[in-house]
Amino acid sequence: MYKIAICVVFAIYSLHWSTESIAKGVYLEPEKFINQIFDNNPPKPDKLWITKKLNAEINNILGHDLGVIRTRYWDDGVKTAWILEEIGRDKPITVGLVVKDKKIEQINVLIFRESRGWEVKYPFFTDQYKQASLTTENKLDRKIDGISGATLSANALTKLARLALYLDAQISNK
Amino acid sequence: MFPLIQKWHKKFGVFVALFVIFLVISGIVLNHSQQLKLNTSYIQTEWLLDFYQINPASEPVGYQSSDNRVTQVGERVYFNDSEIAKDIKKLIGIITINDIYVVAYDGQLTLITKQGEIIEHLTGVEGVPAGMEAVGFDDQGNVIIKAAHGYYHVNIDVLDWNEYDYLDANWSQASSIPEQLKSELLRQYRGSGLTIERILLDLHSGRIVGQWGVYFVDFVAILFLILAFTGVWMWWAKK
Repeated sequence: MYKIAICVVFAIYSLHWSTESIAKGVYLEPEKFINQIFDNNPPKPDKLWITKKLNAEINNILGHDLGVIRTRYWDDGVKTAWILEEIGRDKPITVGLVVKDKKIEQINVLIFRESRGWEVKYPFFTDQYKQASLTTENKLDRKIDGISGATLSANALTKLARLALYLDAQISNK
Repeated sequence: MFPLIQKWHKKFGVFVALFVIFLVISGIVLNHSQQLKLNTSYIQTEWLLDFYQINPASEPVGYQSSDNRVTQVGERVYFNDSEIAKDIKKLIGIITINDIYVVAYDGQLTLITKQGEIIEHLTGVEGVPAGMEAVGFDDQGNVIIKAAHGYYHVNIDVLDWNEYDYLDANWSQASSIPEQLKSELLRQYRGSGLTIERILLDLHSGRIVGQWGVYFVDFVAILFLILAFTGVWMWWAKK
């Protein structure tokens, strides 16, 4: 009987440590993401200045400032790519986003630093954002189903999808 | 048998009553720590910070450019007395180019205005080389970087990176930190290192007094289990 108990305890600990190791880490280097998006020939990053007007709307979307007064993006004339960060629970999640024709074409979790909520990296979740666009109130035009235990990470991705679409629209309006 | 079980059920019940109250309240509060902002509310009480040994692992390191300073305290980096980065392993230095301060650390450059506003963070995806060892500037106003695989010069506005075997530069050098700034940064570092949520979690699990505290909470939890069994057994026996 005690052998079974030891095995169960060992299995639980192994599962705990293995899920921890799955959770945190660099899933895709931002440089590799940009290279993949632009077939290994990325354009030079452009600059977008965060004006007071932009900052006000960014505050509406994120609930706080971007923390910088300019941000970089990659634009090949067809689509734009963005590397953005937002805190899920305690630490920032780095996300790569591609916007084409004012719609999300791709969204990838690149670096995940928290110990919970990493399930948002999977396509079954990120595919929900594909072809999403902004409403006139700068919200997504669709409902994104969350994941139990990953609500804050899912919220962070939704905020970043809205932000990328909003920033892309500012470039289109230039 | 029944009176004996009843007697011990009562004794255990009285003993664990306070723990039940505390564990239930702390459990409910922890369940809502995000909404209550306990994970972003920091303890400032000196004796608690001392108890948790909230201190940087190594001595602060500082660099100076013009009249501004950048300092690494533990894993945090400060521009004068404002925090600009967390989770940093090594601060490389600071230089000034056309009134813009360039701070280098961990494969990243942070550009800051004279007023202390962060312009942007540049990382590997914007071309910052890996394995930065030193940062400096040349007479043409370019940033010069000594990295693991060579020397680079870059115009930070257009991000045109050029690699060389060797480049000479005015390298950023570590400098002493004024005592007043050092004590202010240490105060800030300590004051942003321990959340209320952490303390509550440690109280809830018993970890606040180390491993024996955890064993004690385990023991109390087993008493809960015994109470549940004996309670059901007595109800069943009476029936």
